[in-house]
Amino acid sequence: MHVFRSMIMAALFMGAALFSPLAAWAGSCCGGGGGTALILPSFYNGMIDVSFDFEKYRGFWNQDGKVTPDPPGSDLRQYRLNVGYAHRFAKRWQTSIMVPYVWNDNVYSGFSSQTHGIGDTTINLWYEAIDDKSAWKIRDLADMIPSVTIGAALLMPTGISPYDNVTSSFDITGRGFYRLDGNMLITKTVNPWSASLSLGYGAYLERSVNREYGRYVEPYQKKLGDRTSASLSLGYVYFIGTGGDKLTGTGSYSYLREADTTYDGTRDPNSGFRKEAVGASLAYASTDHDWSTRISWSHAVRQDGWGDNFPITDIYTLGVSYGFR
Amino acid sequence: MGSVKNSLLVLLLVLIAGCGDMMDDLAPSSSDMRPSVQCGVTGPGICQNAPDFTLIDTLGNTVMLSSVVSTTGLRGSVLYFTMWCPVCDMHMSHMRANVMLAFPDVRFFAVDYVSGSVADARSAEISAGYDGSGITVLADTQQTVLGLYQATMGTTVVIDANGVVRMNEDYKDGAKLSAVLSALP
Repeated sequence: MHVFRSMIMAALFMGAALFSPLAAWAGSCCGGGGGTALILPSFYNGMIDVSFDFEKYRGFWNQDGKVTPDPPGSDLRQYRLNVGYAHRFAKRWQTSIMVPYVWNDNVYSGFSSQTHGIGDTTINLWYEAIDDKSAWKIRDLADMIPSVTIGAALLMPTGISPYDNVTSSFDITGRGFYRLDGNMLITKTVNPWSASLSLGYGAYLERSVNREYGRYVEPYQKKLGDRTSASLSLGYVYFIGTGGDKLTGTGSYSYLREADTTYDGTRDPNSGFRKEAVGASLAYASTDHDWSTRISWSHAVRQDGWGDNFPITDIYTLGVSYGFR
Repeated sequence: MGSVKNSLLVLLLVLIAGCGDMMDDLAPSSSDMRPSVQCGVTGPGICQNAPDFTLIDTLGNTVMLSSVVSTTGLRGSVLYFTMWCPVCDMHMSHMRANVMLAFPDVRFFAVDYVSGSVADARSAEISAGYDGSGITVLADTQQTVLGLYQATMGTTVVIDANGVVRMNEDYKDGAKLSAVLSALP
């Protein structure tokens, strides 16, 4: 019944992550890499996107939301190469896949570990429900209608998880669970400004576990808690010259919460987490807009109360995409 | 251009399909695959004799496991393997608040296997808020004990007063630890 309720919630709350800071939730304390969403602009039939993330760990929030430093002498990093492809298969429908490759680079005062492997794969399905009526001038109320894109995403556990044949938590590049997300992206542009709201609700599927870090254990059922995410962003487009090249700067705020894990149906009240972050990005699109490049920074504020039970990280991203008309 | 798209799709699929034991997660098994363990011999498995070790704690004391377990009045010992991460903190906080008080006749150790010196382990203990917590932090600077118990982050080992391993698995929500400690003679 709980799974059914979660699915309904996911269906109701559909959300999106068009290169948004929601993409920045991939890392965890010991690896764990995930993909993100890729949404095609109008008039494009396909798009390839390649991006590279560098995530630097700067301690964590404990269960009380208090900032706790990593051990002295430690330097914890994760790098991710994300490769994605989006394809429009009907006028308002599109799908995409994003696959990350993850490098974990952890140095402690007495130990270092460098591991790598494929991360968890995300497959998305999007429906462009409502078009933005006017991106240039507001003449009447109808011009205020934003674009609304709704979709579903499936996170597939293609990464290396604690339940695989690994010997250490340092080897981990994925969480080991399927997750079904409902997503919604609301965007309104009145040039040169644009604003977007992205909402997401995800439910992990319960799975059997019979091995932990390479050692077989008494089988049990485990389910990670449902995930709620939101992101609000404001962007400004600067047109370069008269040729149509444009530079877009965006600031954002993101929120993520994951509810408690259950073991054999019993909730572990200490296992959920929460994270808030701010972000900034700069994107450049050429005259024909087929090529675009971007840099972004997702910053977890290293102060008490901005998260619970989660690593504090900065994520720097460099990405490039090419669209097929 | 179509061939480029197709090639990239194929590359993605090959990349995904070519990776290790991915099927363990894509199609998880619920079978009990635990190998049979020979009791009475030295090893990290349940019912085996706990491998002995000697480490220095963060206050500079020498701790020998065999001496600890034979302490009069002590029903057992718990080893928790920590790298001072959020999950480790979650486990240790839970253990401190919900388990330790219920078992005053059990000794609790945190085995720090990432610090390179006793001084670093002491700094980590203090900065993580575990100074004076009642958990004795051991500096496993060579990861010797980590290897002896085939442990990793979150591994929790219970050793009874006879030096026999009663539990060796991930902490999870602490329920198994409490149950095992309650069942100690």
